[in-house]
Amino acid sequence: MVGRRPLAVPYLFITPAVLLTATFSLLPLGMLAWRSLFSGGVFATSLSFVGLQNYSDALSQGGAQALRVTGIYTVGFVILTMGLGLGVALLLNVNLPGARHVRAAFIIPLVVPSVATALIWTSLLAPDFGFVNRVLSAVGLPQGDFLSSPSLALLNVLTFGVWQFFGECVILYLAALKTLPVDLIEAAAVDGAGPWRRFRYVRWPLLRRHNVLIWVITTLAGLQTFTQILIVTNGGPNGATTTALFYIFNQGFVQFNTGLADAMGVMLFLISLCITVVQVGFFGRGARRDV
Amino acid sequence: MYRSRFWSRALMYAMLALAVAVVVFPLVYMLGTALKPNYQITDLRASLWPNQFEWSNIVRAWDSAPFGRWFINSVIFSVGATLGQIGSSLLAGYAFAMYEFPGKRLLFYLLICGLMVPFSTVIVPVVQILADLHWLNTYQGLIVPNIASALGAFLVRQFYLSLPYELGEAARIDGASEWRVFRRIYAPLSSPIIAGFAIISFLQNWNNFLFPLIVVNSTNMEVVSQGLSVFQEQFAINYDLLMSAALIVIAPILVVAVLAQRRIVEGIMIGAIQ
Repeated sequence: MVGRRPLAVPYLFITPAVLLTATFSLLPLGMLAWRSLFSGGVFATSLSFVGLQNYSDALSQGGAQALRVTGIYTVGFVILTMGLGLGVALLLNVNLPGARHVRAAFIIPLVVPSVATALIWTSLLAPDFGFVNRVLSAVGLPQGDFLSSPSLALLNVLTFGVWQFFGECVILYLAALKTLPVDLIEAAAVDGAGPWRRFRYVRWPLLRRHNVLIWVITTLAGLQTFTQILIVTNGGPNGATTTALFYIFNQGFVQFNTGLADAMGVMLFLISLCITVVQVGFFGRGARRDV
Repeated sequence: MYRSRFWSRALMYAMLALAVAVVVFPLVYMLGTALKPNYQITDLRASLWPNQFEWSNIVRAWDSAPFGRWFINSVIFSVGATLGQIGSSLLAGYAFAMYEFPGKRLLFYLLICGLMVPFSTVIVPVVQILADLHWLNTYQGLIVPNIASALGAFLVRQFYLSLPYELGEAARIDGASEWRVFRRIYAPLSSPIIAGFAIISFLQNWNNFLFPLIVVNSTNMEVVSQGLSVFQEQFAINYDLLMSAALIVIAPILVVAVLAQRRIVEGIMIGAIQ
């Protein structure tokens, strides 16, 4: 049956996808790993082998701090987006009259260009005339400097990232809640379980697999935050908001220290891969327990 | 009983209203600032909402930068990349679902490995490859690297696995070529999953900022997001102009979002099922 068909057809059909994936994902990954072992600029023709020198240089020249910032940012990002997303999804899932129509609002920050929303964020938190500082002045509090204080700058970027992304968690959790068996939750209600107990002991365990999936998605999104940082803080002050990805961009295309950018690229890739593998491991374990 | 239900409902409405307000407020603030007369912006006592609308701010912002050109570039880039993603995903997903051929498993894993490489980690070598091809500052440099979509191919494959192989047999017996069977019988059936995938791809490409930023550096090749960031550098503290420019950039996508709301939700959900 199979031999009847022209053998070339499937190969022709998969050629564009496979060839382009190889050229623009796998080949660059190989180049990244290879070139991270050499010193030389982005367009340099002669490279000299330096072993792991780029890695130790990257870590000592701001890279270690970038990884720490990435860690803090991503943990905060995941907790806040998932928490807010689940909270709003639970509220929307109650089916309050009229509440159905506001679901669309949570999609807006996800789909409008982040450079534009970053500009809005910048002006909201601007010194002197920004909205937040006006409110602080109006109620008699000292104004905050959301750009040049390291911890406030990170908080600034984090709040913005969460504002932008938590709608995705709302949509995903809402879809997940709709798949839960209604009779189980009603049975718990009949048995006298209040809203909290119904959530804690019925819904939450049933959401386990969805939780893992959403966890993977938000973690990857957190690790890849870029636009917000470039526009709002440009990685500053003093590298306080320089994440690993921003470090790659800055060393690769602004400072032209390609070796350092490549070394950080390899590290970020390995870290993302390890985290995803561990998370998917949770998924497998959850699946087995469910069955 | 009734009383406690009333208060719990009121509390839920209040929390929901707060959440919506937090999401919408920055956009309202943008609109208010964009339409304010300049003297009201630096006036601490002025209200957030302008007492007279200064529509000319938007015209001034539009005239201060080549927005028309940037929009055309964004359309070419996003439409091109999205059509490419749909085409390549349909073909590959169909072939992986419907045919048996030597090396199938290996090639499929190769494609899935592509899914595991976050594009942002390999931006430096990708630019080196594009430089070798002399594709920097070109439309093909923007579009071609974004055409392969492992996620798209995977989704299409899952979809076609659920369809019977016999669907195309009658046409094959009548002598139709494999291409014709795909084009006339199978491809049209995929439109429900392609619609959600297409809108999400389009929005992702339209909002892609990092990639055009590293591939393009001449003003007349820049996309809207990139142009807006240059605009910010030029007019750093002219908040009325900046917010007018943000409004120009946000408005068209907001219209798309409202019109295609249901498709976007579908797209987000199919994107999550990997």
